[in-house]
Amino acid sequence: MPSESALAAGLSELMVLRLLCEQEMYGYEIVQAIAARTRQVLTPGEGVIYPLLHALEKDRLLKSRRKTVVGRSRIYYSLTARGAKRLSAMTDHWSALTGAVGAVLHAV
Amino acid sequence: MRFESLRESLLKGGIAPRHVRRYLAELTEHLDDLTEKQRAQGYDREDAELRARALLGEDRELAAAMLEQKSLRSITARVPWAIFGILPPFAATAAMLVPLGVLVMTGKVLGFLEKGAARPHWFELLATATAACANLVFFPLASVLFVALVARHRLSITWALVAVAIPLLLFLHSVAEFTIPGHPGIHIGVGMAPIFLPKGWKTATADWPIVTAQYVLALLPLVWLARRRLTAR
Repeated sequence: MPSESALAAGLSELMVLRLLCEQEMYGYEIVQAIAARTRQVLTPGEGVIYPLLHALEKDRLLKSRRKTVVGRSRIYYSLTARGAKRLSAMTDHWSALTGAVGAVLHAV
Repeated sequence: MRFESLRESLLKGGIAPRHVRRYLAELTEHLDDLTEKQRAQGYDREDAELRARALLGEDRELAAAMLEQKSLRSITARVPWAIFGILPPFAATAAMLVPLGVLVMTGKVLGFLEKGAARPHWFELLATATAACANLVFFPLASVLFVALVARHRLSITWALVAVAIPLLLFLHSVAEFTIPGHPGIHIGVGMAPIFLPKGWKTATADWPIVTAQYVLALLPLVWLARRRLTAR
């Protein structure tokens, strides 16, 4: 069984991959999007998202490029084909996990 | 400068400088975004900056998150013994062999290495210049590069000393006569004279001014680093 911290790390990775499969985003946008979509239940540390993004890029799950939008230059991240495969595998795993936990919690 | 202590913590923790640079750039941009958001919520400039900095996280947390990612550590931090202990002798050998090879090829192409062929004065001058270059440019240059690497990665000065000392001891002096295979009568004045061979000592004694200059030039960057570290304390 994964430890609590491994679960949290896996969850952050899953959410980042999921968000970036829709569109490329920069760090600040990702943090805001996670907070908004989880209705503030999950609020990743504002600055600590970047080490995860760098590590995912190092694993070739993400790619990045510098882009200037409205006069501001930022590093945008997007999903690679490898990242999409990983997202698919993680989504399946997460669904199985939540199903299993749900079955225990709602068992009569 | 913003995040200066964070930069030092990350570099000392072995994070690759390019990741540190990018992390700090991203944090700076993120902080600007957070400040703008606070301003939009009605806070004045000073309050907005303070609130934004608090939201971004403490330096300790920001450093811990980065240091947790082992894959972002630099090769230099992971295997310093290979970079500063094994690489320098190979780099020194390559630095010697490349000009030597160029010299031999030049001689071959121009026919100076044929049996009985006369070698012009400029060719011998080129050989001498190559040897001088190897002694007085390559070693000091390699020393500058390794010292810069140690400084950039905030590593112990001992690693710089190892990187500089090994080639100096192994290839003390670069004037030795080389015989071209198949041309026993022709010698070229570029080569390596390891200190542990009798010829090395002989060459070193005979050419002590060059050897001294070689040592002084190679050790100067180390002195600079030592002074810099002492001043920083």
